Amino acid sequence: MNMDRRSVLGLGGVVAASAMIAPGIHLIAAPERTEASGQSRWAMLVDVNKCDSDCTACTTACRQENNVPTFDDPQRDIHWIRKVELKDKKGKRPSVSLPVLCNHCEHPPCVDVCPTEASFIRKDGIVLVDKHRCIGCRYCMIACPYKARSLVYHATELSENGNADVPIRGKGVVEKCTFCVHLVDQGKKPACVDACQKDGNGAMIFGDLNDGQSEISKRVHEIRTQTMRADLGLNPAVHYQGL
Amino acid sequence: MAWIRFLGALLAVFMTIAPLVSNADAHGDAKHDRGTIGEKCIKDTDWMRRNHMNMLMEKRHVTVREGVRVPAESLLNCKTCHTSREKFCDKCHSYVGVQPDCFECHNYPK
Ligand code: HEC
Ligand code: HEC
Ligand code: HEC
Repeated sequence: MNMDRRSVLGLGGVVAASAMIAPGIHLIAAPERTEASGQSRWAMLVDVNKCDSDCTACTTACRQENNVPTFDDPQRDIHWIRKVELKDKKGKRPSVSLPVLCNHCEHPPCVDVCPTEASFIRKDGIVLVDKHRCIGCRYCMIACPYKARSLVYHATELSENGNADVPIRGKGVVEKCTFCVHLVDQGKKPACVDACQKDGNGAMIFGDLNDGQSEISKRVHEIRTQTMRADLGLNPAVHYQGL
Repeated sequence: MAWIRFLGALLAVFMTIAPLVSNADAHGDAKHDRGTIGEKCIKDTDWMRRNHMNMLMEKRHVTVREGVRVPAESLLNCKTCHTSREKFCDKCHSYVGVQPDCFECHNYPK
């Protein structure tokens, strides 16, 4: 190749310029990487009319996906999602069945009380327990109005057909629903929602409330939905329809 | 005479580290004995030997709290090449006397 003086100098300039780009910024694509985005607000909508009291697709799928074991002692049971039967005290309305899980509040009281900052809210609105930091004090369990959290009383082992990609649990750590954050980060839906749509009655949907095109944001804006204990002002991310 | 003390400290540090590192090097030839497959580690082997603990501690922070996921560098990925935990991680850890509690929760078959 034939280059005159000027273009060679220009080339030097390019090299110098690329050397000056701040470290950490790569011109060549870095390995595949994802990060929680402050633009999103993950949320769930449950259509109570479609939820059947006999159906446990969501709870079963959750236990399978997240290796949540069952214990004989109900006091020590770990549950991330549970089915609750709501009865009208006056008996005027038929009782309804619905799943209750962590509401991923915008203003989570569990996070406020956590002394080690193990409970935290991610940029995209998912409330999580950093199990590496949790000391098992259980303040968060008391603070949570939805009884969504459980303490692990027994060390457990991965069962034979368990999910090896999700950590099991250490004794003395509080845990709860994560909205299946490991799946959400891969662009998938939480296991309960997936199961509800496949094996259940399609009562649950999941999506980004801040995305005007998503089904959930359209439905939450168009139809009347409720959140549980809205009077507390925590702004939960789990919405119910037909409660 | 601060510099003499500094030199002394440096020597002491070197003397504690050197046998460790050279020992690991000697083991390095016996790669397959330790159940390792694949050509090279996710980063430079020397770097990994010295820094994998800090890297994992840092990663668990940014992954859990900020959602930064790099599948190729995940703790879940170590076992694809370091197929035996007993022969690789545990062996070295018991030699240097550290007991990470990670595998109470994280799945890494023996
Ligand atoms: C693509 C395959 C691969 C993956 C994935 C991988 N490693 Fe390695 N690693 C290697 C190879 C090959 C070596 C060189 C080992 C040897 O010579 O014995 C190595 C070396 C190491 C060493 C230094 C060993 C020594 O002899 O001092 C450490 C520590 C290490 N890896 C830790 C990890 C950790 C922790 C992970 C997971 C985050 C990981 N590696 C993932 C292939 C891999
Ligand atoms: C060549 C020897 C060697 C090998 C092989 C090795 N480690 Fe380590 N590891 C160490 C040393 C030394 C420390 C302690 C560092 C310290 O305490 O400052 C350590 C510490 C750690 C820690 C931090 C523990 C803590 O509580 O701070 C983790 C986590 C860890 N190793 C994971 C792994 C995993 C996973 C593997 C296998 C894929 C592995 N190590 C293989 C030498 C090794
Ligand atoms: C009490 C259980 C528990 C213990 C003990 C534990 N972890 Fe974790 N760890 C988790 C959970 C739960 C996650 C979240 C998994 C997810 O979101 O995919 C996680 C995530 C991680 C991640 C990010 C996930 C990835 O794909 O790489 C790293 C790295 C990690 N832990 C490292 C460690 C190390 C190193 C130790 C030991 C010093 C440790 N963990 C001990 C429960 C635990």
